[in-house]
Amino acid sequence: MEKTNDPIITMRDLKMNFGDKEVLRGINLDVYKGQIIGYIGPNGAGKSTTVKIMLGLIEGYTGQIEIFGQSINNGDIEYKRRIGYVPETAEIYDSLTAKEYLTFIGELYGLDNEHVDNKAMNLMKIFGLEGAYNSRISSYSKGMKQKVLIISSLIHNPDILFWDEPLSGLDANSVMIVKEILAQLAAEGKTIFYSSHIMDVVEKISSRIVLLNGGQIVADGSFEELKHESREGSLEDIFNQLTGFNKHKELAEEFVSIVREGASI
Amino acid sequence: MKDFNTLKFLDKFKYVFQKLGINYEIMRKILQIKLIMDGRRAPTIINNSNKKEKDDDNKFMKSLWMYSIFGIFLAILVVPKKSIMMQMSIFFGILMFMLITTLISDFSSVLLDVRDKNIMLTKPVDSKTINAAKVIHVFIYMFYITIAMTGIALLVSLRHGVKFFIVLVLEIILIDIFMIVLTSLIYLLILKFFDGEKLKDIINYVQIILIMVMTIGYQFIGRLFEFVNINVVFTPKWWQYLIIPVWFAAPLEMILNNNYNIYIIILSTLGIVVPIASLLFYIKLSPVFERNLQKLNNNTVSINKNKAPLGERLCNVVCWNREERIFFKFAYKIIRNEREFKLKVYPSLGLAIVFPFIFMFGTISEANSFNQWLNYMVSTKYYLNIYWAAFIIPTLIMMMKYSGRYKAAWIYKVMPIKEVAPIFKGTIKAFFIKLIAPLYIIESIIFIFIFGIKIFPHLLIVFLNILLFTVLCFKIFDKSLPFSKSFQVTQTADGIISIFLMLLLAALAGIHYFSTIINFNVYVYMFIMLIIVLVFWRKSFNISWEKLK
Repeated sequence: MEKTNDPIITMRDLKMNFGDKEVLRGINLDVYKGQIIGYIGPNGAGKSTTVKIMLGLIEGYTGQIEIFGQSINNGDIEYKRRIGYVPETAEIYDSLTAKEYLTFIGELYGLDNEHVDNKAMNLMKIFGLEGAYNSRISSYSKGMKQKVLIISSLIHNPDILFWDEPLSGLDANSVMIVKEILAQLAAEGKTIFYSSHIMDVVEKISSRIVLLNGGQIVADGSFEELKHESREGSLEDIFNQLTGFNKHKELAEEFVSIVREGASI
Repeated sequence: MKDFNTLKFLDKFKYVFQKLGINYEIMRKILQIKLIMDGRRAPTIINNSNKKEKDDDNKFMKSLWMYSIFGIFLAILVVPKKSIMMQMSIFFGILMFMLITTLISDFSSVLLDVRDKNIMLTKPVDSKTINAAKVIHVFIYMFYITIAMTGIALLVSLRHGVKFFIVLVLEIILIDIFMIVLTSLIYLLILKFFDGEKLKDIINYVQIILIMVMTIGYQFIGRLFEFVNINVVFTPKWWQYLIIPVWFAAPLEMILNNNYNIYIIILSTLGIVVPIASLLFYIKLSPVFERNLQKLNNNTVSINKNKAPLGERLCNVVCWNREERIFFKFAYKIIRNEREFKLKVYPSLGLAIVFPFIFMFGTISEANSFNQWLNYMVSTKYYLNIYWAAFIIPTLIMMMKYSGRYKAAWIYKVMPIKEVAPIFKGTIKAFFIKLIAPLYIIESIIFIFIFGIKIFPHLLIVFLNILLFTVLCFKIFDKSLPFSKSFQVTQTADGIISIFLMLLLAALAGIHYFSTIINFNVYVYMFIMLIIVLVFWRKSFNISWEKLK
């Protein structure tokens, strides 16, 4: 068993290539219990790839990954029982009803059918979805689907959460609930690995921010620390600075000038 | 949650699975979920299901009777003892074709579901169990389809003795395995060279071909009896080694006629060795398959930007104002690109090509040779059978309003479009150029070959009648904006209108027939038709926004 002060996830020199493209170029990271990690970076930086490797979805990486003190490629998949996952693209069997889907997922985690059913129904109720519990997910709005995915990642009371863009499609009130859920889960000692493109949210809820660019970690620390180091006001500015992007004004100007030309026939 | 008898049956083999290191309880769960989902998906074989979806009403089970009609076909082939090689080669040929097209069109979603990995592999489930579930899933369906198709034939085969029956059963099992492996290898090959979009296109075309063959196939059931009685002497040729169904016919020839010719022995060996070898080959390759499967999601979109196709260039010829041209191009591209639309429409186009001939087949058996038949046909008015090709026009015009992405029709509302007429004119012209005209031209070329060039003026009159009929169809149906309704909400009223329209078509054809009896001048007739068509095309499209449904 892991001790309280030992990292819950460790990555050492994690590298991954897709063909001749280097996606991850040596990631080293220790994650501790109770942290909410905002894992951010531009498109194609390797965020989702890291998460997918940890879940065993992608093979062929080099380097070591230990979760709960155990290497993940030793053939033992039991560690997945203590992980909850919200994928970036809302992959879900949408011809099933929420009841069918959630009990199925719960059973894959080894839970008892009736127990999951009750739990799922109660969780749906809190999100105001009890009326839709027995309808097919294909009829749901984007936000409703996202709520089902969030529930499915928590139904087995996991110790680590991997959430990829968990707030997409949620309305402001639901976002507030989810943010509060995250804070309370972290206070209970759960570890949350969270990636998003919405910097304001990441800035507010993360206890630690890891910024990835071009397959490498370019910044790691709390928001205060990052702010101090880079002397920028907001996470958005820090993000732009560290990813070397400063042309947004010029690009916007060019865009607008193209919009303006030849407007009427 | 619904439990399935199939799974209860599978429970009897629980021990075997556990021995193989598979987590049976989890596998059963996965299968249960998969079967529930399949029940909510319509198989290709029952296209155009226009009833409202009822919950958990397994459409697959309903489609089985369609397969069993093919089963009657196959059973007929087993009856005679005349030329077992010939009969059984055709038998296996049909069986293999049906199995492989069904696998590709309906089970691609099983074999290629990329969601599986993301949803299940992230849970504490080992990939061995997931793969086992996948294999069993496909086999469950293969079992049902195979029984539906070969059940009657197997009973009939008992008349050739128990030995024949047993060999046939074993061969069918071997073919099932072989077809599954072959399908997977085809996917493997396609994914090696192309990406997911291309694969989806190919699956789409296979679905279209399957529906076409099924519908056309049924028209020939009656003919099969005559065909089976033809006594063919089977002479060995080297190229027959390349025809897979012949391999499977050979063992049956061997046991039924005690034919131990070296040729028969080689063919039989091929029939046993190749399927087994392919299975081993596939097991070796399956990691590659898993890796290539990831390509399904990366779609490097590269639509070739060559010059516009002929049809699109015709746009400037047939459309005389700007708005009409815009909608012509829009409709033309949707017809070309939307898979769901093609799946609903293209099979009936294929049927329309064949239909005129089905009604002329009766005349073939009266003739002794093909040439004699041609000579006879030239002197008749059977060329008017070409009107049968127009029977799909009501369907096409009706289909105009449907799309899989019907919600995108908001664009009509937010754009500053004053009149509706150009929308419909452009769309109908696109339908005509893209779908009806090519069909009619192909049909005309075949007809000219049969009846001679002298029918050319008549073909022009038919063409004008088809133009007129198209407009009439449009006028009579309820009007909705093109591509603005879901396929699910097919109205039943449209069906009744279609029957009425068929009568109208019959009337147009009748007038044409009458004109040939009284020897009415063709060119005068043509001129009159031209005027009528022009008037109708001019008048029929002035519709107000309010009248649209």
